[in-house]
Amino acid sequence: MDWMFFGEISLAGLAMGGLYSLIALGFVIIYKATRVINFAIGEIMMFAAYLFLAFAGGMEMSAWIALPLAVAGGSILGGVIEKTMIRPMLGESPISVVMVTIGIASILVGLVEFIWTADPQLLPSFLPREPVFIGELYLAPKIAYGFLIGAALLIVYLLYFRFSRGGVALRATASDQAAAYSMGINVRRVFSMAWVFGSLAASLAGVLVAATGGLSPQFGIIGLSVLVVVIVGGLDSILGALIAGVFIGWLETVAGAYFGGEYRMPATFLVLAVILVIRPYGLFGTHEIERV
Amino acid sequence: MFRNILDKGRRLAGLGSLVAALTVAAPAMAQDKETIVFGGSIPLSGVFAFAGIHIHAGLTDYTAWINSEGGINGHPVEYVMEDTAYEVDRSVAAFKKISGSESPATYYGDSTGFMKTIASELNSQGDTLMSGASFATALTDNEQYPYQFIPGPNYSQMFGIILEYIASQGESGDMPTVAFVYSDTEFGKDPIENGKARAAELGIEVVEDIVTKPGSVDVSAEILKLRRVRPDYVVFHGYVLSPINEFMVQMRQMGLDTEFMGTFWSSDKLIIDKMGADADGYMGVMPYNYYDSEESGPMLDALRAQAEKSDPDAGYRPTGYMQAWFNAMVWTEVIKRTLDADKELTADNMAEALASIEDWDTGGIIGIPVTVRDMSFPVGRIWRVNAEEGRYEPVSDWIHLD
Repeated sequence: MDWMFFGEISLAGLAMGGLYSLIALGFVIIYKATRVINFAIGEIMMFAAYLFLAFAGGMEMSAWIALPLAVAGGSILGGVIEKTMIRPMLGESPISVVMVTIGIASILVGLVEFIWTADPQLLPSFLPREPVFIGELYLAPKIAYGFLIGAALLIVYLLYFRFSRGGVALRATASDQAAAYSMGINVRRVFSMAWVFGSLAASLAGVLVAATGGLSPQFGIIGLSVLVVVIVGGLDSILGALIAGVFIGWLETVAGAYFGGEYRMPATFLVLAVILVIRPYGLFGTHEIERV
Repeated sequence: MFRNILDKGRRLAGLGSLVAALTVAAPAMAQDKETIVFGGSIPLSGVFAFAGIHIHAGLTDYTAWINSEGGINGHPVEYVMEDTAYEVDRSVAAFKKISGSESPATYYGDSTGFMKTIASELNSQGDTLMSGASFATALTDNEQYPYQFIPGPNYSQMFGIILEYIASQGESGDMPTVAFVYSDTEFGKDPIENGKARAAELGIEVVEDIVTKPGSVDVSAEILKLRRVRPDYVVFHGYVLSPINEFMVQMRQMGLDTEFMGTFWSSDKLIIDKMGADADGYMGVMPYNYYDSEESGPMLDALRAQAEKSDPDAGYRPTGYMQAWFNAMVWTEVIKRTLDADKELTADNMAEALASIEDWDTGGIIGIPVTVRDMSFPVGRIWRVNAEEGRYEPVSDWIHLD
């Protein structure tokens, strides 16, 4: 066995998995706080990536100004969606809310096709292009730097949720909405905050992933494929999203390299099937017991 | 953004004027002879919309042009289409609707999936000849698809042309090596086995074949595999843009001097527009002259004039436009031959007329006279990106496969 090759493949997979973790975090934050499975997360990623294209490409801004602007745009979009379309659905059946998020996804696809046309796009190059070597192992620069930026945000999030008042409010709401409300936590504000933070993570991931793999109105499909990560890790577990994201990224890449690209998806779905049988609530998800 | 919206508005207005003009002109011409209908399942939305809108423009412009030339043997032509979003069920529904109400003589299919699905109905109806966006090898099986043709070389033939070019760059006993990179789709896998067989015949070693997810987000692992085999050429198939750019950029970053080539849908100017200087040296097989090539001819000049007339602001017209125009040219030629032979416009008669095309001068759309072989036009040329000039330039003669 060529261990050098295995090392390089593993490194590439782990780095890509880091970006999967970031997208999964967007899913989990929203679900954890509001119990809404946001099927429009991929399209929010896509919208932010198109915003980056508009700022850095169309308006020729510096990429380092365009990036925060695009991410902020994606977060605001998340907040607006929550306030105008999700909040009025409070109390409705979960299926109805899910259908609304699917509808939002379609609207966003139509919107970007209208504004930016259906042509495939490449984002202006903004990450260093010099090859990255870790020891003797080669790592594609876009993947390496994308991972570093994503990891920085992940650390900020973990610290925020652990130590800030907002983070505590979010965790309290996630664990018991009624109790949080009775303790004076503004639950509605927490819902908005969850959508904004979830969309922010997804937006940053959107720009970084699009910088690697290109952009088109169908880009949002990636968000759905990360659903596997979320289910494996546990829908309401931030730790689960992080670990499962890295693991699925690694597995997908190794399976693709050794068995062929057509085995990437079967490998991840095999893991999904096994997890669903053994732990239907995911590796780190909450096992809810209903007493009748 | 607002300029983009305004441009769209202007284009829509232009299109509206054109439709209005056709509506007015067609009845006057139709007083003499029956209208011939070109039907189409066109992907104006969905994943193939980037090409679909240009295909639609090509068919619309050709119809306007042929009517301005007096139609086909005096018959006015009408182009009737429905948007399919590149979904087979919607394409089938559009076909049923258009064939039920308009009896089209010819029809543009938007995908291999649709053209395979509709084959039995097309065969039983027996009054429509079909071609379209697909260059699928399977569609050149005359037994199964007697009323469908390919408006150029099929994907296997494109690989054949590419491999002939690669072989011409080597010497017997010292042939370049090649790797195939293709998407995990029916489209992507189409020419691979035939390509390997042809490479073996030419003495070219296929050192790696790599399949990727369509719309793959990361191909680092696949690029690492290619670094180990160091192919002289990588041939892409089943992509429009990504991940071709990633393969090219990363392999060059690794110091490899590999050359990169692609088939029809991977050889549009889009690659130059989006990749910029990174696209330099990329090569594609193309059966038609590019809109902005230095070539000319009566039909190519007419195409450029009509494109300019219908939308002066559009500028360069992509390969989808050229492909749609050529489709309609073939339909016209086939209908003309059928009518000249005093035969009815049945699918059998039109297929027979198509098969009779030999050494046909396409007026500069294709640079050499073409002959139909097994319901396809197995001809093409290798073009190379000159990024500084922002266009493809020919690097081979026209290659006509037997």
